[in-house]
Amino acid sequence: MRDRLQEWVPRIVLAPSFVAILIFVYGFILYTGWLSMTNSRMLPNNDFVGLANYTKLFGLKHWSIALTNLAIFGTLYIVICSCLGLFLAILLDQQIRSEGFIRTVYLYPMAISFIVTGVAWKWFLDPGIGLENTMHQWGWESFQFNWIKDREMAIYTIVIAAVWQSSGYVMAMFLAGLRGVDNEIIKAAQVDGASGVLIYRRIIIPMMRPVFLSAFVVLTHLAIKSYDLVVAMTGGGPGRATEVPATFMYSYTFTRNQMGVGASSAIIMLIMVFSIVVPYLYSEIRHGEKNK
Amino acid sequence: MSIPSQDNAINAGSLTRILIYTLLIFFVIYYLLPLWVMVSNSLKTLDEIRGGDMLAPPKDITFEPWRQAWSQTQIGVEATGLKPYFFNSIIMVVPAVFLSTFLGALNGYVMTKWEFPGVNLIFGLMLLACFIPFQIVLIPMARILGMLGLAGTLGGLIMVHTVYGLGFTTLFFRNYYAAFPTELVRAAQIDGASFFQVFWRILIPSSGPIIVVTIIWQFTNVWNDFLFGASFSSYDSTPITVALNNLVNSSTGVKEYNVHFAGAILTALPTLIVYIVSGRYFVRGLMAGAVKG
Amino acid sequence: MASLTIDQLTKSFGAVEVLKGIDLDIEDGGFLVLVGPSGCGKSTLLNCIAGLEKTTSGEIRIGDRNVEGLHPSKRDIAMVFQSYALYPNMTVRGNISFGMEIRGVDKAEQEKAIQEVADILQIGNLLDRKPSQLSGGQRQRVAMGRALVRHPQVFLFDEPLSNLDAKLRVDMRTEIKRLHRRMGTTIVYVTHDQIEALTLATKIAVLEAGYLQQAGSPDEIYNDPSNMFVADFMGSPSMNLIDGLLLERDGGLEIEIEGYGDTKISLPAPDTAEMRGFVGKPIVFGIRPEAMTDPDGADRTSPQIETRDCFIEVSQPAGSDTFALTPLGGKECIARLRADARIELGAFAPISFNMTKAVFFDPSTTNRIR
Repeated sequence: MRDRLQEWVPRIVLAPSFVAILIFVYGFILYTGWLSMTNSRMLPNNDFVGLANYTKLFGLKHWSIALTNLAIFGTLYIVICSCLGLFLAILLDQQIRSEGFIRTVYLYPMAISFIVTGVAWKWFLDPGIGLENTMHQWGWESFQFNWIKDREMAIYTIVIAAVWQSSGYVMAMFLAGLRGVDNEIIKAAQVDGASGVLIYRRIIIPMMRPVFLSAFVVLTHLAIKSYDLVVAMTGGGPGRATEVPATFMYSYTFTRNQMGVGASSAIIMLIMVFSIVVPYLYSEIRHGEKNK
Repeated sequence: MSIPSQDNAINAGSLTRILIYTLLIFFVIYYLLPLWVMVSNSLKTLDEIRGGDMLAPPKDITFEPWRQAWSQTQIGVEATGLKPYFFNSIIMVVPAVFLSTFLGALNGYVMTKWEFPGVNLIFGLMLLACFIPFQIVLIPMARILGMLGLAGTLGGLIMVHTVYGLGFTTLFFRNYYAAFPTELVRAAQIDGASFFQVFWRILIPSSGPIIVVTIIWQFTNVWNDFLFGASFSSYDSTPITVALNNLVNSSTGVKEYNVHFAGAILTALPTLIVYIVSGRYFVRGLMAGAVKG
Repeated sequence: MASLTIDQLTKSFGAVEVLKGIDLDIEDGGFLVLVGPSGCGKSTLLNCIAGLEKTTSGEIRIGDRNVEGLHPSKRDIAMVFQSYALYPNMTVRGNISFGMEIRGVDKAEQEKAIQEVADILQIGNLLDRKPSQLSGGQRQRVAMGRALVRHPQVFLFDEPLSNLDAKLRVDMRTEIKRLHRRMGTTIVYVTHDQIEALTLATKIAVLEAGYLQQAGSPDEIYNDPSNMFVADFMGSPSMNLIDGLLLERDGGLEIEIEGYGDTKISLPAPDTAEMRGFVGKPIVFGIRPEAMTDPDGADRTSPQIETRDCFIEVSQPAGSDTFALTPLGGKECIARLRADARIELGAFAPISFNMTKAVFFDPSTTNRIR
C-alpha cells in the first residue's frame, strides 16, 4: 500500500508546478485570446466581436508606428549585438592578459535593470546636461547630439542603450563557442598554411552557426519583449516616436481603456515570439534526444 | 566562466597585439562609461552638473544626493526616498527566489529520476513558458490577483514571480540532474530511502553549483523586473525599479539628476554586488538560459 | 539466504518488448551469471529482480515469497552497480551505513556492522574518506561493503568489474569468488564478458534479444551449446562454425567441407537418428579452436582424433599458443596450436580434429542437432 503511494509521489510533487503553468501561462493565453475577440474596454466583458479588434489594431497609426519601431530597433539590436559580440569574443580569444577582468567589465550591464540602464543613458544623451553639453564644455561648440529629443532619431538612442546592455552577453556566448572549437582542426588548418585571419573567416566563424542561432533567438525575444528600457528612457516619446508593441499594449489596456485592442496586440506579440522560439526549441530538443 | 583558453590565437606581430589591446581598452571604457557617469555625477551638486562637464570627476564630493535618494526625495506622494521600496523589493525577492528555486529543484528531480509518461510534454510546456512575452498574461493576472485578494500586495508579486520563474528554474535543475547518475538514486532506493530522502540526502548535497546559479538568475530577474511591479503593485508594495522610474520620470519639480543617479546606483547595487562576487555562476545561468536541450 | 525463481517474466517499454517470457531459477547459495551482448535485456532483468523496474507480467520469487510490487528495499536484496553508485557527499562510513540509518538501526549496532564489513573487505583505513579520494578498486570494495552490510538473501551485481583495468579485474574476480564461497549467499551477476561468466558462475544464463537462449552450468554452456548463438558467444576465440554437407558413406555419416581452393576434407559425423534426417543437406559443423590442433598437441585421452591436411594462410603467435587460420567451408577458421608448433605459411599442414568435442547445428533454425 505504501509502495503504491510512493509511485504517485512524483506526480503529486510535479502537479502544483504543472497546474500553475497550465493556468497562469496557457490558460491566461487562452483568456487573453478570448478577450482579444470581445469589446472589453476598462473591464473584461464577454461581448464577442470576432476579429474586429485585430482589424482595428492594424488600422491604427499608433500600432504601425510601434511595429515600424520594433522592426528598426529589433534589426539593429540583433545585428549590432551579434557583430559586436563576435568581434569582442575574437579579440578576447587572443590570449589576452587580464582577460577575466575585461570579460567581467563587458558583461556587467547584463546584471543591471533596464530601468537603471535607461536612467543612465537618458541623462547621458540628454542634450542639456549630457554628452552634447560636455562636448561644448570641451570646446567643440558645434557638436550636436539631440537624438533623444528628435522624433526621427529617438528610436536609435534606444538601440544604443540596448546594445550596451546586451552585447556583452552575446560576447560571452561566442567566447564559449570559440573555446569549444576543436584545437586539432585549427592545427590542421595551420599545417595547411592558413593564416590567422583566414582560419577565423573560413573555419572558426562558420563553426559558430549554432551560437549565431542561439543569439538570434535570445535577442529576438528580448527585442519583442523590450518594455522597461523604452519606458525609462523616453516613455515612448517624444510624442509616439519610440512607441513599441510592449508599450502600446500597456497603454491601450491600462490607460486608454481599450482592453480588447490591448489583448489583440499581446496576441500578436506572442505569435511573433513563438514563431521564432517554437521551431528553435523543437529542433534543440530533437537534437538533444538524438545525442542522448 | 572557466573555459580553458586555447591556442586559437592569431600569431601576429606586436603591432597587431597593440591594436588588439587598444580596441579592448576602448570597449572597457565604453562599457564603464555609463557607470562612471552615474557614480561621478551622483557625488556632484546639481549646480555642478548643470553647469559642467558630465564626464569630469566631481569637484567637491557631496554625499547629499545619496542621502536624498535613500531617505528623503519625493517619490509619488510621500518624501520617503527609495528606502521603503528597496525593502519592498527585498521582501518580494527573497521568498520568490527560494520558492521558485525549491520547486524547480523538485521538478527537475522528478523529470529526470522519476520519469512517467507525459513528463517530456510537461517539460516542453514549461520550457516554452520561459519565452512568452509577459504582456500576454497581464490582464488575466490582474483579475486573478483581484479575485485572490492579492491585488497590489507583495504577496501577489511573490506569487507572480514564483510562477513565471518556474520555467527557468526547472530547466536549470532538469539539465543538471539529467547528468546526475541515476544509479545513485537506485542505490539509495535499495537502501530504503524514500522519494524525499533521496532528494534531500543524495541530490541536494550534490547540487551546490546549480542552486547558486539558479538563485543568482532568479534574484537578478526578480530584482530587475519592472513590468510586473508596475502592473501589480500599489503605493505600499512598489518595488524599487518602479520607484526609480517614478522618481526619474515624474513630470513635476526640478530634475535632480544627481539624486537620480544615486537612486539608479542604489537600485543596481544588489545585483551588481552579486555579479561581482559570483560572476562565474551568473554567466553559467546566462549560458544555460540561452542554450537549451 | 534463499533461492530465486523467475517465471514467465516479460517486460515492455511502451511497445518495445525487451524481455520475452524468461523462465529461470537459481538454487540457494548459487551464483547465477546473466550474460549476453549489450541490449539483450540482462540489465533490465536484473533491475526487475531488484524492483527498480516494474515487470509487465510474470512472477519473481525470492525464497518462496513473491516480490511483485514490493519496494526494492523490502525485497531483501543488495546491489552493486556498474558505476559503484557511491554517494559522493558521504564518507565511506556514511555510504555503508546509509541503509541502516534509513531503517533506524541504532548507532552502536551500525558501527559494529561497519567494522565487520570493513574487516572482511580490508577497507578499515578508508572509512573516513570520501569516494572521490578512492581508487577504482577501493570504490569497488566500498560498493561491495555497502551491499554486504545488509546481509541480504540475494546479491545483485550489475557489471561490477567493467570499469576496472584488466589486471585489477582479474584480482577482483577472484575476490568476488572467494567472498561468495565465504558468505554462501545467492548471487545474480550481470556481465557481457563471457570469461567472467565462465570463471564465476555455478549457473550461466545466456540472453539474446530478450530471449533466454540457454541456462546451465559453465561446462554445459561451453561444451554443449544448444544453438549457434550460444556456441558463438561463449569462448574466446569463439567456436568455428563451418558450413558443410552431410553425406552417407559406407553406412556411416560424414560431413564434407570445402577447404582451400578446390580441395575438400571429410570428417566422420555421429550416427544418430536426428542426424540421419539431414543426410544430403547442408549442416553447420561447430568445433572450438582448441579442438583443432597440430597432431602432437592433440588431446591423447580423446578416443576420436581425425587428422586432415589443411592450408595454413596466417599464423598469430600469442605467447602460450599459436593460432593458425585456415579456410574451411568458405570461412577463416582458427586452430589453436602449441606455441612451438612448426608451421609453414602458404602450405598444407596436418591438423588434428578432436571429434568428441564436435557439435552440429541446423543452419535453417540455428538449433543444435544431437
